[in-house]
Amino acid sequence: MKYGTTVLDDIGNAHPRKNLRLRERGVLEERLEEADKSERAAIRAELRALPKKADHPYEKDLQSVRDQEKKLLQGARERRQKFLSEIKDKDPKIRSWLLEAAESEERYRFYEKHLDLSYDFELEYKKHFDIADQLPAAAAERRALLDELDEAQADLKKAQTEDNSAAKAEFEEFRVQRIAERDAEKAKLKQMRHDGIISAKALANEQKMSDLAADEDIKSKKRSLPLAFAKDRVRNIRHKLKIDAARKEKLLNADISDQRRRTPIETNKRFPWISWLTILLPGLGQLIIGQRLKSIFFFLGSLYIYLIAIPYSLGYGNYRGDGIAGLLSLAEGGARLDRSIIFMIEGVIAVILLVLALLLYYFSFRDVHRNEKKEIKGIRLNNWFETRSSLKVDGFPFIVSAPAALVTIFIVILPIAVTILISFTNYDPTHQSKFVWQGLVNFKQIVAGQGIAGGPFWLITGWTIVWTLLATSLAIFIGFALALLVNQDRVLGKRFFRTIYLLPWAVPAFITIMFFSILFSPQGPLTIALNNLLGNTNPADMLNIKHTTWGTRAVLIMLQGWLGSSYIFLLCTGILQGISKDLYEAAEIDGATGFQQTRHITIPLLLYQTAPLMIGQYTFNFNNFSIIYLFNGGGPFEPSKYGNMAGTTDILISYIYKLTIQNQYQGIGSAITVVVSMFIMFVTWIGFSRTKSFKEEKL
Amino acid sequence: MSKKKTKNDALYLSDRQPLTTAKLISLVISYILLILWAFVILWPLAQIVISSFNGNQGSYISIGGDYKFSLKHFNYLFNETYFWNWVTNTIFIAVATALLTLLIVSFTGYAYSRFRFSGRKASLMTIMLLQTVPTFAGITAFYTLHSIIAAVIPGFTRQLFLILIYAGGGIASNTFILKGYIDGVSTELDDAARIDGCGNLQVYRLIIMPIARPMLAIIALWSFIGPFLDYMMPSILLNDPKSYTLATGLHTLINDQYNMQQPAFAAGGLLTAIPIVILFIALQKELVSGLSSGAVKG
Repeated sequence: MKYGTTVLDDIGNAHPRKNLRLRERGVLEERLEEADKSERAAIRAELRALPKKADHPYEKDLQSVRDQEKKLLQGARERRQKFLSEIKDKDPKIRSWLLEAAESEERYRFYEKHLDLSYDFELEYKKHFDIADQLPAAAAERRALLDELDEAQADLKKAQTEDNSAAKAEFEEFRVQRIAERDAEKAKLKQMRHDGIISAKALANEQKMSDLAADEDIKSKKRSLPLAFAKDRVRNIRHKLKIDAARKEKLLNADISDQRRRTPIETNKRFPWISWLTILLPGLGQLIIGQRLKSIFFFLGSLYIYLIAIPYSLGYGNYRGDGIAGLLSLAEGGARLDRSIIFMIEGVIAVILLVLALLLYYFSFRDVHRNEKKEIKGIRLNNWFETRSSLKVDGFPFIVSAPAALVTIFIVILPIAVTILISFTNYDPTHQSKFVWQGLVNFKQIVAGQGIAGGPFWLITGWTIVWTLLATSLAIFIGFALALLVNQDRVLGKRFFRTIYLLPWAVPAFITIMFFSILFSPQGPLTIALNNLLGNTNPADMLNIKHTTWGTRAVLIMLQGWLGSSYIFLLCTGILQGISKDLYEAAEIDGATGFQQTRHITIPLLLYQTAPLMIGQYTFNFNNFSIIYLFNGGGPFEPSKYGNMAGTTDILISYIYKLTIQNQYQGIGSAITVVVSMFIMFVTWIGFSRTKSFKEEKL
Repeated sequence: MSKKKTKNDALYLSDRQPLTTAKLISLVISYILLILWAFVILWPLAQIVISSFNGNQGSYISIGGDYKFSLKHFNYLFNETYFWNWVTNTIFIAVATALLTLLIVSFTGYAYSRFRFSGRKASLMTIMLLQTVPTFAGITAFYTLHSIIAAVIPGFTRQLFLILIYAGGGIASNTFILKGYIDGVSTELDDAARIDGCGNLQVYRLIIMPIARPMLAIIALWSFIGPFLDYMMPSILLNDPKSYTLATGLHTLINDQYNMQQPAFAAGGLLTAIPIVILFIALQKELVSGLSSGAVKG
């Protein structure tokens, strides 16, 4: 980069260079750019002939001023004693402010003489000028407040010792009088109501208002009693003292940072090399360019990288795994106790830690790099006050989302990643401890419907789809119909019916499912009742729902209709109540019958508003593990068609449960999970993208 | 009003159209259907209540036989099973889940609604995608993951892990719901508070939280109820009958022939259902609106 003759401040204003050495170079460089070929050699020679840094007269001047500056700074301690003896005030805050102001005055008078030499001096001048200007005023204000506090405290003491019975009596008199006034007002209101001038509601409102007004008046009178007033005053002044000091200091800091933004800086640097050199050690770069407090945080990041992330991914400090290497080897050829699944999980953890480490490297590098580039342009870096305030705005969302991100990464993303990885292995009962990568074998087995575990996949998928469609549609139909019936104009006892119809939703589903399971068991009451109805008295040919595939399936669908209709009913009722009555009145005037109104007004509106949620109901039943597993355990079983692991009423999710949890076919179970999850995500996404909240999202 | 006037036969003053015969018939049919369905709902639920108090039952439920009022099934439940453990476990898990969810989601919902930061859009898309992933997708990993964490942090029980799974699984969708709700709150209030010197957290605590309280209550309520209703996750993770939740615990009473105690199950089911039913009836509007406000969990 070229030096140029000007530097930019943070606001974008150009300032002429004050560093004459860099300015000379900048001028020549600019000329070089515009020059013809013939002149270039001459300019280059000129550039080379420029005096070295140490010999340059400007640098010599600068150095001498720097030496004086050093002396000035060294004298600070002596001056401090002198100033302190001059300050009469006892308040520690005021003392420190006045001290700082006096020292700053000394300094800005010094820098005033060297304003043309360097922007650094200019900034120091402005800064100390602000301090010397603002702090004495702040101290004076504080002094006034403190005096006021003393006075208020004296008043309070006086009020405490004085006899205040007169004031109290006066207050009491006021109170009685005000209450009498209020009562008179109320009586008048009552009379108005009696005469029929105002409504009952207006009467209640007016009475309330009159009560409040009287209350308010009495309270404010009480506050102005001498003792209460004095107490309040002391409290107010104390509070003001507390927040005032912090606010004044903040204001001063803001002013100084404003000066920093408007005063450029000149450096010799032309290339942001520090960020590249320190890329491997976050924090070092910040330290070198002078942001000390910030560097501490990045050094903590470095500690994380070099003490946690990298050792962990190399296999040190693992629970029983081997870092990233374990992810590839899956404990192959390891000791007897080494388990592939642990190697896999720790491998995934290592990958996550490394990704976080890379992010840290990137952010640290970007931070230093940007700051260096800024400095080359002429913009001063943020000081800690500025960094902190910008962190409060820009950093806040990251800081508060960090716990959520951590939990999501380790409890949601990690298990999903592991499940996806397992689907590419031969994790099954014979390979519990050690399994290996085997590519797409599991997926091929599922698609082809082969193997012990993959065999019944398509049969189960078929039933899952039938189940989802029928059970959900039935529930939606019942809920819809009930809502329409209950919300008819003439039906009485709406509340009563609503409360009853809510019950299947309110009673925890597992209880009702288990109870129905008991009722339908071989000796269960409903089984017996059903057989009595059919006339089967002989125990041998009794019909048993749980032993017949279609019986169980039919009962399951009906049961879900029973369970699921509640929610649909409530949802539709809510929407029905929100439909404007005007629509129906208009329809009636146009001669529409009740049925036509339902068909052309109610149902379209209901469908339009509930459609996305209905999709949610379908995915819910697709995954409705409880009802299948708790009612009949997926049975009855039919090993010739379904193998030993699945029953005839198992749906995919209960099949996955049986494969992975009960029979340890985790590999193929995971493969099915992946397929099913992708399908569900797709369907949910469609439903979701139609919801209002998604459409209105302003990203 | 209409009731008073219909007494007056001379003049028809109701807003409604007069009741024709056809309408009367359809009304009667409506009532029959409504009462029929009410019966279908109430009969099984009533049986739960009746059989939990019927002393004339052994370990199986019988309906329609002799009835003798008795508390012996409740006695059995309290003295022979770990019922109180299950109750306290479930309440502990539910409360912890609700609190953790509230704590995490308050921050994320606020941050996503009120702050514009780099990566916001990308992470929002991730959140939306994540909330479509069904909870069971990670079941194969949960078990081993727990043993690894437990080895590092000795006090980390399976119940705590369950809480983390419940809360973690709900972050995405709840953040989205809360964000949507806070988006609807005018930012002018925030700005006013900031001018008066409030920091980020103060703005949340003093301005946003009181306004978003209804939605926070819904989120807390659903996170609280979730553990009461779930059977699958505790059945996978919890292995000691003492650490079971109500769903898995009560299931042991009807699961195998030896411990079969169906009436005790009915009694336990009744005790579990009553508080939840009361909660649902009292807060039905809030619960339904919570479900329909854009949450679609796969």
